[in-house]
Amino acid sequence: MALAATLLHNAYFCGRCCRHKALQPLLGPLLSDSLSKSYSSYRRPGSQPEKKTTWQNVDLSFKKSIEVLKTQLGMLKKETEDHLAGPEGQSLTHYMLEQTRVVWEFRSQEDLNKWVISSDVEIGGKSEVYLKLGRNNQTALLYGTLNTEVPRDGETKYSGYCSMRAKPLVGSFARKKYYDWSNFNSLYLRVRGDGRPWMVNIYTDPYFSHQKDDLYNYFMFTRGGPYWEEIKIPFSKFFLSSRGRVQDDQHPIWLDKISTVGFTIGDKVNGPFQLEIDFIGLLNDRAHTEEFAYETYEKNPPL
Amino acid sequence: MLSLTLGTMITITSNHWVTAWAGLEINTLAVIPLISKSHHPRAIEAATKYFLTQATASALMLFSSMTNAWSSGQWDITQLTNPPSCLLLTAAIAIKLGLTPFHFWFPEVLQGSSLTTALLLSTAMKFPPTTILLLTSHSLNPTLLSTMAIMSIALGGWMGLNQTQTRKILAFSSISHLGWMTIIITYNPKLTLLTFYLYSLMTTSIFLSMNSTNTLKLSTLMTSWTKAPMLNTTLMLTLLSLAGLPPLTGFLPKWLIIQELTKQEMTTTATTISMLSLLGLFFYLRLTYCSTITLPPNSSNKMKQWSIKKPVNTLTPTL
Repeated sequence: MALAATLLHNAYFCGRCCRHKALQPLLGPLLSDSLSKSYSSYRRPGSQPEKKTTWQNVDLSFKKSIEVLKTQLGMLKKETEDHLAGPEGQSLTHYMLEQTRVVWEFRSQEDLNKWVISSDVEIGGKSEVYLKLGRNNQTALLYGTLNTEVPRDGETKYSGYCSMRAKPLVGSFARKKYYDWSNFNSLYLRVRGDGRPWMVNIYTDPYFSHQKDDLYNYFMFTRGGPYWEEIKIPFSKFFLSSRGRVQDDQHPIWLDKISTVGFTIGDKVNGPFQLEIDFIGLLNDRAHTEEFAYETYEKNPPL
Repeated sequence: MLSLTLGTMITITSNHWVTAWAGLEINTLAVIPLISKSHHPRAIEAATKYFLTQATASALMLFSSMTNAWSSGQWDITQLTNPPSCLLLTAAIAIKLGLTPFHFWFPEVLQGSSLTTALLLSTAMKFPPTTILLLTSHSLNPTLLSTMAIMSIALGGWMGLNQTQTRKILAFSSISHLGWMTIIITYNPKLTLLTFYLYSLMTTSIFLSMNSTNTLKLSTLMTSWTKAPMLNTTLMLTLLSLAGLPPLTGFLPKWLIIQELTKQEMTTTATTISMLSLLGLFFYLRLTYCSTITLPPNSSNKMKQWSIKKPVNTLTPTL
């Protein structure tokens, strides 16, 4: 999609450069003086206007490229060493014996930079969301205000959501890397909320773009007290949804290729919210025997 | 299933390019619904990948046979005379089989399909392209085939090193074995067939053993000793056989291939591939060590595993 847009841009610019007066009446409808694009130029109220085109951001300095190459080669070397050591960079015995693992914890600004926050500002809403380190740099505080006022663009019906999502892992030379959580069966969250219900989303980045909206969700109900909560959500409880709609054909999540985890709040209540997270980890709960929490019926049973 | 048999038979018994191509297409189309039967997104992804790669390979094969027919005027499979056609055909068969550098689809496709379908994909679906390779082996470029084979063995061993999903492990072992099969095809095609048969036998017993205990990942494999200890032991023997350890069956094709290569004055190649298959051996050994020799401390809590589907051919691995 982006590639097609770039091609059309380039074609348009080439067309502008070699335009002849004789050809203009013939090609008039194809080329025009205004900056016409192949996609609609309506910009949603929340998104920023494009100040710089993407090709103006390119930096062609030689020294910087050498440094980038060195960093990437360093990452590649580390990946090779990890590959030799065993699954996920640790020895096989470690993989066999591990029952818990902390995946994300919030102790410094770098840890915060691994997360992206967003809200309905991108569709023109008015909620605010901020992420900062908590007291003594021991936690992350996600706070803000939810505002369910619907943006007036004629097509949106609901509004009011804020979310925090982990950035996907990137390997050397900008390749995608995935988490392999097949050894575990629950998500372990140490959080302190304010009583509001949150939704935990897991994204397993698919290869083809047909399934890019597939998301596995489940709910996290926080208590709101001054005490920390340890919430264990087994992976068998996650249900599949696509673009927010729960799908009919449900299946348990496959844990061998997970890309990101996110938290969303969208409980239609105007007002402030706060969520303090200590760490996000994984647990292999030996007492949990459920394969999948939802019964799947055959859609066309044989008679 | 019947279409699969039909397709395979058509390809094997063909002496015209078009029938060979038709057989391969029937095979591809028949196996696609088998891969995507479970309606899981990963299964559908695997089916799409399989279809795209196999269709490209079939198209390339048809193209090579057409250029050959254009230059030599006949469609006989054994009379492949045009050099560009030979190259194209080698590439097409390499894509179909999953030889390096066209192997990228194979682990993902095996991972997305169920264990029995994965078994079909790695044994039955490899048979028709191997037959075509055998029929045309006298006119194919040996350097290209040897290069691809050595790279396959290297890559199969390297990538299999820290996989945690059993189907991907078997995919890489398949790639590695294909390398062994391809390296000897221009010199002694009968050895290729022998390797193929023995490999199919060993892989079938591994897949079926895994299917009865439903081991999809390494941790399940390691906790399967509580359910069927006999099965676990024979699984260990089969894995070592796949790795090619001497008293077991898997060593036979490797030994004969190395002997044939040294007879053809290709000792460096023989040494290289033996060294590279050490990588695979390391991995298999580590697997068997962790799963059978050291008993892991915990047991699995998945209900599916406790129902044995059928007591499987535990004796074939010790052939």
